[in-house]
Amino acid sequence: MLESFIYNILQSKKKKRIVIGLVLFALMASIALIPAKLVLAKMLPGKSANTFTVYVDTATDSSVLQTKEVTTCVVNELKKEEGILNMEIFLGQGAPLDYAGLVKGSAFKQMQNQAEIVINLTDKHHRPEASFMMVHRLRPQVQKVCGWMVPGTTIKFIEMPSGPPTLATIVVNLFGENHGLTRYTAEKVAKIMKKTEGLADIEIMQDDFYTRYEVVPDKEKIMRSGLSVKQVNDILYMAFKGVIVATKNSRNQQDQIPIFVRLSEETRTIQGNSKNDLIWKLSTLKLMNPMGMMIPLKEIVEFKAIPSTPAIFRKDLRNMTTITAECDLVSQVYPLLETRDMMIEALREEFNVTKVPGMSTFMFDLNLEHKKTGEKLLLQFDGEMKVSLDTFRDLGGAFISALILMFLLIVVYYKSFALSGIVLAGSFLSIIGVLFGHMITDFVALYLTGVNFFLTATSLIGFISLMGISARSSLLLIDFSRSLISNGIEKKRAIAISVATRAKPIVMTTVAIILGSALLATDPIFGGLGIALIFGSLAATVVSLFFIPVLMDNVAALCPESVMDVQACAGGGIDHLDEGEIEEIAP
Amino acid sequence: MKIDYKSKNIAGTLAKAFLNSPLTMVMIVSILALGFIALEVMPREEDPQIEVSGGTIMIAIPGSTPREINNVVIKPLERKIREIKGVEHVYSVAMNNVGIVNVQYFIGEERESSNLKLYDKVMQNMDGMPRGTMQPLVKPFDIDIDIPVVTVAFYPKGSQDMSSVELYKVIRDIQQDMNAIDNVAKTTLMGEKKPQFNVMIDLDKLSGYHISLGQIAKAIQAISTNAPDIDTPTGTGKIIVFGVKNAIENIKDLQNLIVAQYMGSPIYLRNIAKVEYGYDIQNFQEAYIAQRYEGQFFKGHEYEIHEKDTSKGIHEALPAFHSQDQQQITLTVSKLKGTNSVTIAEDVVKMLEKYEEEFAKHNVGFIVTRNYGERANEAVNELVFHLGVTIGIISLILIPFLGWRESLVVSIAVPMILASTLFIAFMTDQTINRITLFAFLLSIGLIVDDAIIVIENIHRRMHLKETQEQDFDVVICEATDEIGPSTNVATIAIILTMVPMAFVGGMMGQFMKPIPLNVPVALAVSLFVAYVFTPFLAKKLIKRAGSY
Repeated sequence: MLESFIYNILQSKKKKRIVIGLVLFALMASIALIPAKLVLAKMLPGKSANTFTVYVDTATDSSVLQTKEVTTCVVNELKKEEGILNMEIFLGQGAPLDYAGLVKGSAFKQMQNQAEIVINLTDKHHRPEASFMMVHRLRPQVQKVCGWMVPGTTIKFIEMPSGPPTLATIVVNLFGENHGLTRYTAEKVAKIMKKTEGLADIEIMQDDFYTRYEVVPDKEKIMRSGLSVKQVNDILYMAFKGVIVATKNSRNQQDQIPIFVRLSEETRTIQGNSKNDLIWKLSTLKLMNPMGMMIPLKEIVEFKAIPSTPAIFRKDLRNMTTITAECDLVSQVYPLLETRDMMIEALREEFNVTKVPGMSTFMFDLNLEHKKTGEKLLLQFDGEMKVSLDTFRDLGGAFISALILMFLLIVVYYKSFALSGIVLAGSFLSIIGVLFGHMITDFVALYLTGVNFFLTATSLIGFISLMGISARSSLLLIDFSRSLISNGIEKKRAIAISVATRAKPIVMTTVAIILGSALLATDPIFGGLGIALIFGSLAATVVSLFFIPVLMDNVAALCPESVMDVQACAGGGIDHLDEGEIEEIAP
Repeated sequence: MKIDYKSKNIAGTLAKAFLNSPLTMVMIVSILALGFIALEVMPREEDPQIEVSGGTIMIAIPGSTPREINNVVIKPLERKIREIKGVEHVYSVAMNNVGIVNVQYFIGEERESSNLKLYDKVMQNMDGMPRGTMQPLVKPFDIDIDIPVVTVAFYPKGSQDMSSVELYKVIRDIQQDMNAIDNVAKTTLMGEKKPQFNVMIDLDKLSGYHISLGQIAKAIQAISTNAPDIDTPTGTGKIIVFGVKNAIENIKDLQNLIVAQYMGSPIYLRNIAKVEYGYDIQNFQEAYIAQRYEGQFFKGHEYEIHEKDTSKGIHEALPAFHSQDQQQITLTVSKLKGTNSVTIAEDVVKMLEKYEEEFAKHNVGFIVTRNYGERANEAVNELVFHLGVTIGIISLILIPFLGWRESLVVSIAVPMILASTLFIAFMTDQTINRITLFAFLLSIGLIVDDAIIVIENIHRRMHLKETQEQDFDVVICEATDEIGPSTNVATIAIILTMVPMAFVGGMMGQFMKPIPLNVPVALAVSLFVAYVFTPFLAKKLIKRAGSY
């Protein structure tokens, strides 16, 4: 039945053209799905985990008590949640390190304004809500309730990464030598990002400005009183921060017991934070000079209020300011492009904005030149987007090298470029199935769970391995046809017979792959691979059963050299050869 | 028994050689056994290890501003770091008093030598450091040691009046024992409060008695020296040993320390300061745990929210801190590289159980807040189960196509391929993790082909008219031989498509590495199995219809 159907197609040029046309149309349509946003791309999809972390950062000059207020609020807010088992709160330090914390600088946290809360959830198999949905729901709620308590607070929700961790989903690095300008622009950029739909947890990684007091020693007075600046330093430090002056070894403990000296809590506290409050407090502090005279500290120093000096951040030898943002459920690609367009629009007032030329994984970057001063800034997109682009570029490279390697191998085997071309075309066409499969799954996933299904790096891996699978079908067909032809069967008939005979094992392996990948498709990370394999191998089967025979019929190289009756073999199939050439080949 | 068949290629040759060999059966059994052993013994992880090399250099110059640090320390150091090969990014932060340089190597750079190069470069340039610089600290990353596999939160049970120092003393002993567990690399405590003598000086009294802070510090130092023992020879040629005792034995000694004379009468430390034996009050790092009691969190005090009302008394509207969240100490346990997190986590939990009585005595409760071992084990077991199910489904679906005996051959051949691949992975020091198993799931779809194609061809040829008169052995060899070349090429083609994936760079490349490492191996093995064991199993299991 299949045999006569194929034979029928091969008999008519028009039918062959229809088959080729249909395949080309399907290929175009499937590739068009990407720009049409019917298939959305993302490096790795979210994964439901049993834990997530909340990072709390208050303003740079906040005390640990203020930070504690915020964490208490967050914890109390989260206590209403059913799915939470327990929460660990770490003040003034990072939580025990995990993969996310490793790249987000969790280990370096040691300031009073930093805190982390680890939220352990009930087991994911028994919890109806996926952790990323929970974060999506809780994030605005918690930020609204607790974000205002201490000015300058950011509350970030950190999910366990499903693959390699990055600093943040979207990272904007703003390079520039002028601190003031960079700071100003960074705030502007952050404001734009806050307006962008799909972005959350926007934070500028910089210190806040606050007033700082400088104690300026009066050199002359210090020298004349027989004191030293070091002494002033030491005494002030001991009085307000405290110093371990001695230690005592202990017989029954693992640690030495330090002896710590500091002013008592009541006398240490300064009432307000104005200059006068500070002077009043320090006026009671006295220093003793070598002559045993007590000299009031106030007499030998002056006080000056100055703005604080924020830390300078640098990357690869250039000063920069970093703005980070997370993506709320959506892929990072689309908000990034949107926010970039908005940035170009908004920054145009003050800057000459130019796009970085050329195609590279930095292709989204913007060069900014201030219209008045001519100062230059570089706005660079980094983070998961950069990693994704790098990965897709590398996988694309892997794909192309795979194609070339396969092509060469088959050329060696068949000694024919045309046949290799057929095998390669057949392999490549599985992309039709991959893309349509993603579109269908996306529809189903949106309908069932409300979450998008993305084209991911694992989908690409699936596509690469599919090439091999579909190449195998084509190879078997070609081999079998060739051996039939050498047994003296006419070319078109031979192709039809081989399709009919080989259909069973081809369909069988397809079924095996589909079933083998069915469980893969349910995994959040490897879902893309599963879907790619299932739909890709379906497409590959259809292609190798109907399209490959048409191509085979059009290629003269299918006839093995040993065939005596080349004329019969070639039949009418070799359209592009004229009579003379056929005679040449014939013995 | 000689098979009367001349093979045309390697496929037929292999099939012929092993078809009647008594060793074949032994090999089947031992391959399956080796695979099973590998599955049980191989270290398990949830995600594969990503080789991240890099480190942090911290340089302190007390009393300097960020700009100064940037100019005198960070810029020259960054240039020097650039001289190291393999460095991808240099991040630095210039803060008040301290500069931090973070060095990040390309992913996949060898860790030990990278660390060494970094340390070497810093030490070589010590002479260029500005004056007043303190000894730089070089801290290399070490994912294995830095990321704990188990964390346990200890908290006082019941009454809240247990001091954090007491809790610390109990935990400190367990920490020592935990470190003794095999393959445990590092244990740390977080949120701990260490015992300390606190001398809290009253500033008003200080000025009242005309004493300076420096005097007090000197007085304390004067009596608390820890000195080694002294030995001296005696007249009889022996030695006599004596030592000076630290004058501070307990809190009383400190309280009764005379710091100065005022109007002829001594001033004791206790007169001007509160001296107590407490915890390190200067350490603001704290840890708490909020947990459920009888399924309920303590909800915290109700409080009203004044939207953006920062001008007046917000603090009054706030709840009391941590109404019911207990102070806790977290013990973290990390493992050595390449060791099995599953067994370590089990050992840690066992150790905790052993201590349970001791905890009850001290009224200490604990929660295991992180257990990567258990997670890894669950993930691996779930995927192994998936593999089994997949093989089962495939063999079921083959029954209507080929018949149950043929399908049985496939369902023995596939586990054999997986078993040998797993064993090879074990031999090459890989771990068994989610990605490895996904590589296996992926390869099932690919390797099953080889088995199916051989068995299908045997099945097909067996029923052909021309072979009715032939010996079954010959039919099998010929069938295997026939599909040999194209199967070879097809399998090599698939292997070739997988190989370039090994060169994908970055974290993602490392993360996915088990796929290009294992899938080609599985495919190569599948060829061997298809030519050697499938014909053998076909001969043993398939009954030829009719007689010959």
